[in-house]
Amino acid sequence: MADIAHRSAAPVQHGLFGLTDRFRDKLPAAFAVVGLIAAWQFVVWAFSVPTYMAPGPLDVLRSFRDDGWTLLSNFWPTLFEAMLGFVFGNLIAILLAVWFVHNRTAERAFYPIAVFMHTIPIIAVAPILVLIFGSGYLPKVIIAALICFFPTLVNMVRGLKAVTPATLDLMRVLSASKSEIFWKVRIQSSLPFLFAALKIASTTCVIGAIVAEWIGSNFGLGALIIEATYNFRSPLLYATVFVAALLAVVLFSIVSVAEARLIKWKASDVH
Amino acid sequence: MNARALARSPVMPAAADVEANVAVSVRNVDVVFGEGESAVTALSGVSVDIAAGSLVTMLGPSGCGKSTLLRAIADLVPVSAGEITVLGRSPEEARRERNFSFVFQDATLLPWRSALDNVRLPLEVGGGGAAHAEPRELLELVGLKGREKALPAELSGGMRQRVAIARALVSRPKILLMDEPFGALDEITRDKLNEELLRIWRETGTTIMFVTHSIPEAAFLGQQVLVLASHPGRVKELVTVDLPAQRRLAMRDTLDFVQITAHLRRLLEEC
Repeated sequence: MADIAHRSAAPVQHGLFGLTDRFRDKLPAAFAVVGLIAAWQFVVWAFSVPTYMAPGPLDVLRSFRDDGWTLLSNFWPTLFEAMLGFVFGNLIAILLAVWFVHNRTAERAFYPIAVFMHTIPIIAVAPILVLIFGSGYLPKVIIAALICFFPTLVNMVRGLKAVTPATLDLMRVLSASKSEIFWKVRIQSSLPFLFAALKIASTTCVIGAIVAEWIGSNFGLGALIIEATYNFRSPLLYATVFVAALLAVVLFSIVSVAEARLIKWKASDVH
Repeated sequence: MNARALARSPVMPAAADVEANVAVSVRNVDVVFGEGESAVTALSGVSVDIAAGSLVTMLGPSGCGKSTLLRAIADLVPVSAGEITVLGRSPEEARRERNFSFVFQDATLLPWRSALDNVRLPLEVGGGGAAHAEPRELLELVGLKGREKALPAELSGGMRQRVAIARALVSRPKILLMDEPFGALDEITRDKLNEELLRIWRETGTTIMFVTHSIPEAAFLGQQVLVLASHPGRVKELVTVDLPAQRRLAMRDTLDFVQITAHLRRLLEEC
């Protein structure tokens, strides 16, 4: 994550010196991670903490080796739910934002409802959806989509409206049509706002999928977390949490790379 | 409007006569913002003729409506009373015909487009692109050869305004409306752009209306200076600048020039 953020801030790094510079930038973080893991192992060993209470890093590593197949077979459903939820939640939010920007009445009618829906904790909604849609993939995808939906809606509406009056004057002098203004100006100027929301969604969609799996599911990383906890299989629990975090980081990185490819300009630089 | 245009079109000599001599005609124009008690009269009874091919600067205290007059000519502000004709047409018809271009105080470049693509914008929207100048040649004309691919964020304020001027010229407008285009630039850059604007004016033969709040700029650029008074905005005097057509920056230190600016300053003090 830190790496991605750094690169988007300073995109011009070429050649051997750039590479060594970047490597040197990462060194403190690498040392810190290794140091913390070592400290964790030391504390577990020094105070003889029982494995079921808090396993050491070596126990977790062993779990990756022994339960690797279990982890992998539960990883795919969660990935599938999170990604489908990400796609549908964001897609609906984007389309709704486009509608809101073109139709003030629609915005006045549905925006408050969207805000109200957002105030309901997702954990409270999950059982309701499980009751309605059963224990298959559908409720998980819906919950993952719901959790992505709101930040994207808000940011996309803001982004589509983030066009300066002067730019609108320019488009009027050029006799540009509404759709030309939309495609040539609004979509482009909304991209930084959209990607800010997509980065949030890339990690929250994983949370949504896992929370949904806690409630009435026998597959996925969420179900594995519950199962490992009840059976005191703490190394497996830790390994599962690690995989879930890794999934979120990978999705975040994909979105960040897409952002760096699509947006080569910064909104604040130019009026 | 259409009926009048149709009625006029068979009488070619009269229409041609109008186009040959007067580029912009303003007759008894009032512009009132708001309604009822909160109504503000921005312009009151303004009449002026701008000769085709001339360069007229518009000078006045803030709140005198000089920008409003320019925006009314550009069909950005509706006229409350009176009539404006641009090349014998209504401002709206002239806008659709791309008879004029507008240069704003901010360059209003689209930050995600390169300099060249910003210059091309008018050709991509509003049905533009029929008769047009070559965008690369225009960038050369404004002294930005070699910077075609630069994003606005990579250009200085002066360079951005040069791109904006190139963009304004791309549809080969007969009239260039400029609203304090160099107001946000430092004096050295402004001087340079003033000289270059005069060169562009000579090379293209475009009619230019140029709003400024700088007395020396108004006198240096203008063949005529339209001085406006404020509260409500009205024409104070149309001053003819009695200087050689070929202007040099050094001319501003001559007695003739100082006498003109002194006269303008007196007029402004009376406003």
